[in-house]
Amino acid sequence: MLYSLRQIFLLVGKDLRIEARSRQTIGLVIVLGLLIVVVLGLGLQGQPAADRSGMAGLERQVNHAGFSATAVLWVAYLFAGVLCFEKTMNVERTDAALAGLMLAPLDRGLIYFAKLISNLVLILAVALVVTPAGVVFFNFDLSAGLGSFIMIVGAAVIGFAAVGTLFAAVVSSSRLQGGLLAMMIFPVSLPLVIVSSRMMTGIFLEARPLETSSLGILIAFDAIFVAAGWLLFDLVLEV
Amino acid sequence: MTSVNSDALNALNGPGGAVATTAVALEQVIQLCELNKWIDQRPVLRRISLEVPRGQFTALLGANGAGKSTLLRILATLLKPSSGQAFLFSQPLGRDTPSLRARIGLVSHQSMLYRDLSARENLEFFGKLYGVADPRQRASQLLGAVGLLDRADDAVGGFSRGMAQRVSIARALVHDPELIFADEPFAGLDAPSTRAVEVLLGRLHQLGKTVVLVNHDIEQTLRLVQRVIVLHKGAVAMDQPAGAVSGGRILELVSAG
Repeated sequence: MLYSLRQIFLLVGKDLRIEARSRQTIGLVIVLGLLIVVVLGLGLQGQPAADRSGMAGLERQVNHAGFSATAVLWVAYLFAGVLCFEKTMNVERTDAALAGLMLAPLDRGLIYFAKLISNLVLILAVALVVTPAGVVFFNFDLSAGLGSFIMIVGAAVIGFAAVGTLFAAVVSSSRLQGGLLAMMIFPVSLPLVIVSSRMMTGIFLEARPLETSSLGILIAFDAIFVAAGWLLFDLVLEV
Repeated sequence: MTSVNSDALNALNGPGGAVATTAVALEQVIQLCELNKWIDQRPVLRRISLEVPRGQFTALLGANGAGKSTLLRILATLLKPSSGQAFLFSQPLGRDTPSLRARIGLVSHQSMLYRDLSARENLEFFGKLYGVADPRQRASQLLGAVGLLDRADDAVGGFSRGMAQRVSIARALVHDPELIFADEPFAGLDAPSTRAVEVLLGRLHQLGKTVVLVNHDIEQTLRLVQRVIVLHKGAVAMDQPAGAVSGGRILELVSAG
């Protein structure tokens, strides 16, 4: 167990060192995330509010803006994530570096875990920049449900990264074009988007508390796809 | 610089740097029995049966698509055979092969290195993955052996093809493997770099390593190896000692339709 953790730490350290040196991925995905927030934000600002009269209306308007913000942030996370998955797998495919990893005497599932953690670090770095931008742009009071927001996004992003890391390996080891990655990831990630959107609606639009049953669905999704990735990674990596 | 450091070549034989005498025991390092591989429902390897004893320098020759690289990748545990039996060091090649992988090294025409890391960082990283006791010292030893100690801290992405190939050989040897697969290691190299890689492979053989080389240059191969196996359409068409066969005969087999 300790040996496996050391190997994962070593692999993640290598990924982050390469990213810190080349800055190939992080700059691109942050810019993409910010662009999505700005473009969709500008588009949605033209939408008429449902009710603009009185204090209740003002509160509803703020909440509606908050819901739009979370939806836009989701879109930004998804597209930035897909770019992350493609870029980090390209590093491994360039000069067949991945074959070098596969030759090493370690469980190849550990390569999956390490790549998943590296992708999560990058997506969370994007979230740290894009989320405040979205909150400011939409004038959305996140503090009303900050803890719930972090839990929902955290659980959903783990599942999304688990799916994306596995599919990025599938796409990179086939003759399929990289652009198809999004077409593969988004349908499978749909349960994450639907469940987390409903939870966001409940919290920010209907002032309901966090639904633990829905959170359980997200966590179950995470567990299934992390386990599937670990078990299947070796099979999809034939080089 | 394209030369290798002859004084430092002993480092190729592991952290101690001791020179081993060429093994004469007939322990079979590779054993294949009726091995088949299909890719996209097309037979790529057909009923391959052969044995390679410890310490032998063997070449796999054949036309493009004959199955040489596929066979090497199966032996290196990067591909799985469709049927038949394959043993390395008398252990079956199966799904759980980390212990076998610790005993083999692969050099390819692709460097298998990270371009944004320096030569030393690449070797230290792979050394740690293989559990080498002192990866930093081992990296220095090997970079000295391949004549690149003065470029140790430069990013591999800025290296010439020949320099990258020498670092790639150092990477394949970082854990002191007993069995070395070289898949077209001379591809794209200029004459001095080709000579440097020839010297490295020859020295590995002298140090008692078992080396399996896939190559296209028949004359060069006959000069380097002890045994020649020619594959034709996925099957073994010839298996002879290198001294007992002519380049012309091999060319006939390779060129056969």
